[in-house]
Amino acid sequence: MSNHYNMPHLPTAKSPRVTIEVDGQNVEVPGDTNLLEALKAVGIETPHVCYHPYLPVSGNCRQCLVETEGPRGKALIISCFTPVKEGMKISTPRSSERVKNARAAVSEFMLLNHPLDCPICDKAGECTLQENYVEAGKDTSRLFPEVGKNYHGNPDHQFYDTKGQLRGGKRVDIGPRIFLDEERCVQCDRCVRFMRDVAGDEQLQLALRADKTYITTFPGRKLDHEYDLCVTDVCPTGAMTAKYFRFQQRVWMLSRTATISMDDSLGANIWLDHNNGYIWRVMPRCNPEVNRTWISNTSRLAFQQFTKDRLPVGNLDALKKALEGEGKIAFVLGGSATNEDAAALKTLVNKLGNRAEVFVGTFAPVGTPDGLSKSGDPVANRAGFALFGFTQTAEDLAKRASEFKTLVSLSADLWGSDASKAKALEVISDRISISAKNDETAKKSSTVYGVNHWSEVSGTMVNVNSILQKLNAAPTSPDAELAPLFSVLFALAGEDVTSAAIAFKKAGEFAPKLAKLSFDAIHSTGELLDGDAAV
Amino acid sequence: MMEFIESKTWIEWLLTIAKLALAFIPVLFILLLIPMERRGAGFIQDRQGPNRSYIKIPFFGKIRAFGWIQNCCDGLKLFFKELYEPKNVHKVLFSLAPAIPFGLTLLTPCVLPYFASLNFTFGDTVVHIPAANVDTDIGILLMFGLSSLSVFGTVLSGWASKSKFPLLGALRATATSISYEVCLGLSMMGMVLLAGTFNVEGIVSWQENHVWGIFVQPVAFFCFLLSAIAETGRPPFDVSEGDPELVAGYHLEYGAMQFGMFYMGEYGHVGINSILMATLFLGGYSIPFMTTADVQANFGGVLAALFGICAFLALAFLHMVYRWLREFNKGKASNKDEINKEYLLYKIIAWVAVPVFIALAIASGLFLHPEATMVNGAPVYGIGTALGTAAVQFLVLMVKTVFFCWVWIWVRWTLPRFRYDQIMHLGWKILLNIALLNLVVTAVIAKLVMGGN
Amino acid sequence: MVRVVKHKEMNLIERLYIFEAFRGLYTTIKHFLRGFFRYETLPTTGYPEVKPYIPRDYRAKHRMMVRPDGSPRCVACFMCASACPAHCIFIEAAQSADGRIEKKASRFEIDHSVCIFCGLCVEACPVDALRMDTCETSFVHPKRKDFIVNLTDLTSWNPKDYPDDPQSQVAPGGTQNKQALEVWGEVKC
Repeated sequence: MSNHYNMPHLPTAKSPRVTIEVDGQNVEVPGDTNLLEALKAVGIETPHVCYHPYLPVSGNCRQCLVETEGPRGKALIISCFTPVKEGMKISTPRSSERVKNARAAVSEFMLLNHPLDCPICDKAGECTLQENYVEAGKDTSRLFPEVGKNYHGNPDHQFYDTKGQLRGGKRVDIGPRIFLDEERCVQCDRCVRFMRDVAGDEQLQLALRADKTYITTFPGRKLDHEYDLCVTDVCPTGAMTAKYFRFQQRVWMLSRTATISMDDSLGANIWLDHNNGYIWRVMPRCNPEVNRTWISNTSRLAFQQFTKDRLPVGNLDALKKALEGEGKIAFVLGGSATNEDAAALKTLVNKLGNRAEVFVGTFAPVGTPDGLSKSGDPVANRAGFALFGFTQTAEDLAKRASEFKTLVSLSADLWGSDASKAKALEVISDRISISAKNDETAKKSSTVYGVNHWSEVSGTMVNVNSILQKLNAAPTSPDAELAPLFSVLFALAGEDVTSAAIAFKKAGEFAPKLAKLSFDAIHSTGELLDGDAAV
Repeated sequence: MMEFIESKTWIEWLLTIAKLALAFIPVLFILLLIPMERRGAGFIQDRQGPNRSYIKIPFFGKIRAFGWIQNCCDGLKLFFKELYEPKNVHKVLFSLAPAIPFGLTLLTPCVLPYFASLNFTFGDTVVHIPAANVDTDIGILLMFGLSSLSVFGTVLSGWASKSKFPLLGALRATATSISYEVCLGLSMMGMVLLAGTFNVEGIVSWQENHVWGIFVQPVAFFCFLLSAIAETGRPPFDVSEGDPELVAGYHLEYGAMQFGMFYMGEYGHVGINSILMATLFLGGYSIPFMTTADVQANFGGVLAALFGICAFLALAFLHMVYRWLREFNKGKASNKDEINKEYLLYKIIAWVAVPVFIALAIASGLFLHPEATMVNGAPVYGIGTALGTAAVQFLVLMVKTVFFCWVWIWVRWTLPRFRYDQIMHLGWKILLNIALLNLVVTAVIAKLVMGGN
Repeated sequence: MVRVVKHKEMNLIERLYIFEAFRGLYTTIKHFLRGFFRYETLPTTGYPEVKPYIPRDYRAKHRMMVRPDGSPRCVACFMCASACPAHCIFIEAAQSADGRIEKKASRFEIDHSVCIFCGLCVEACPVDALRMDTCETSFVHPKRKDFIVNLTDLTSWNPKDYPDDPQSQVAPGGTQNKQALEVWGEVKC
């Protein structure tokens, strides 16, 4: 591509303010951004298809047209690629019939050969085209029925349907995780831009020209990247559909729970989309400071294992008995534990006195940040554990394994992460596992106790950039008897705490940084903890 | 003891004891009244009524018998249901109460004659057996005395239930029953006055010899009819169990066969009152325009007419069956085979019955000429003729009674329930006065016309 | 708005009740005699054996229309399930074997013990797959789970029962099936 695209400059709190005239009224907008974002900042939504705040601006859809008044009279411009200037005169559909007609015409043109697939399209309900079309208010078709829809894309995929119309490009297997529907594609090239400029691996291309354009991969190659499922998110239509979610649910049936992906210390913000007590998909939740709108395939597909291989609720008295007696106890706190779990563990350890020591994490290797939604550290809440003084790692435990008589692994899959390294721990005779999953460690343990998975608990975590983020419980627990880890630990310490908000208050007693915050007041995009600068 | 036994011949003893079975006649009316009420109500409301219970027999399949099987189903259901009683009831009285109206249903008809007294030659002797089980001169008084006792069952059940609605229902039932018994007694007195006897058979034979009571005492008949309906506590006088106010009245707390006893008592009461009405005002067992002596003299002819009527009815039945089947088979019913098979049985029975009845009619008309012996100037026939006459008379009485039973049902499904005060108003201020006036007028006319003492 | 309806004053005869009662008795005996002697003219029918006439647009038991090749028309769009106020339609979608059709229902169940027969599912269906014109109104089953009809039950209707409906005749066994199959063509995977 010879085109040079610019990343859009998004407004921040520090943006300079300029005054522009919108629909005859003066409004103050952020001055260092494009018109679309500026209008959005004052509450005017502009329909757009190809524009995406975290992708380079391409400006090919012409859906975001507004009218501006310049020295050469009034003109239609695309708001996504026009920087805001002091004193601009802008007309939106509210005051300009021309803009309204132009947008409706663009919408109609875009749907000219777009199939009427909405009932069977997985995007229906969250489809940009649907929203724009409804907003344009054109509810009648001007298409001659005898002409019908015509497919002009990849000639290899053409066929005539039962009504004799030229169709094609349905269900193109473009990669191991994604199906492409060329017919639904509106050639906004968001996916191409994502792969090239965000994922950094130019695997998708637009082929041919004009109305024959279609999305394809290079010959003989497939779309296969750690972030390739993000193209299904950026796709404004149902052209790119994830195989795992294809035909599973209609999006309007899903309820969303905002939470944090606890498999990486960046703590990617996610939505858990659930219905009937099952998670059906995981979507990225926009957080400009953390993962923007991207999550990796690993985080996205992890939900498929959430309810598999779960431990049943155990016997709390047996646990209590196992912790009694002499001999040192090693607690290994897994990376997915929340601050509340850490506070509960701290309470328990304080009660046990010198006998107990806490180690964090597993033997899983620490990787490098990929710059999108992963920092590489599998211990998600390492920064949070440090607030409670839990800094010793599992490696430290492996060196000193002979000192301990009892090993309590809390949601930490030691054997599953590296069985050869975990072999050193087998000198510890009493092994207890308090975990959501019946993993390798649980199988090596003499006593097991089932708790809620992190997707089913409320709580907080501190990510690698010291941002305190809140997890919310999705109602997907396979067994109503299961309790969060912190309430089990509190119960072992002899306290009755079932609410995350109370546990967070208790966490404040051990970690002064948390004491200033209220659990309910934590913003959905997190709170930067005092004294730490964001990286 | 032996003396007492030897005071009568063996045939006398046999018939006297066999007569006891007549006590069950009013109870047996339940068999007739239940289907009559159910299907009658159905027809009145343009429905079919319950007609789906059946018994299965080989070849003919499901036999529904026009809804009569429903009796068995109801009876069996009530019989096999669990007896229970609420917590705080008076246990003895609670269990005793249902037995009273039912027991009285067996006792009350002891003075009713179902046929004329049997008078026949047996060997050398002339045997006379009174028709009623209790042949007494105060017959009708005894009967009213007994039937009034059934109020005890009602009031005891209401009180023993220890519940508000039954108590209210029982009080209302008692008040209604007692009020209307006054009218009942007074309206009947006209007939007693005319006949000059309390003996029921005497009243019937007066009608036999003169004219039916309904023609000489039409006002009394009407008062009697209303009072009898009210006394049994059936609609439109059923305030005692007025569903909207009292749920079910005095038998609210009863279930299973205890409720069944009340039910049978009520229907038995209807039966008794119908028989009484037929006896007092429609000439009882007497065949119109024929005295018992006439019947016996022309016994063959009477039987021939009877069998002729039977044959006609069977033919009418056949006509209805064929007509209905024709219409039915034109329809789209899915059970045509089943129904046709069932009706085949009825057709066979009726087709057999018709020639049999005709043959019997012809045979009895031609060949039955009973021989009479003159005793004290009156002809006395043999035992066969006497029993045959009794059977014919019984049949005639039953026909009249069934008509009155139907009146009960007819009135019930026509008129809405009266208010309680309206019932009292009607009973004490209207019917009683009319009955009294009727009695006085009757007495005066009887004195003037008949010249009695 | 208040409408005052004045009751007609009863005259003396009417107030006496007795004559009116006899009039009532006359009415009822008329009906009784009709039922007794002309049983066949009763307006009621012996229900389970004689089925009442039910018009086609009565909202009765559902059926699923089929394509000329016999596959259900349902494209598993969930519109019916979304429209259903009683939440009695359960659908699972799957990939269709026919390449021209994207989606099909691998499971389509209607719980008739929950269904309120409002017909919204029929209205919602974008492909005229679901209909309620079977005229079947009787739902009698010994077990609760028998009320749940699946795809096989829904598609097992006979085109001969719908002679006036061209859409039904397209189904296998219908009069239009042959022509429709020719138009439908080969299944492309």
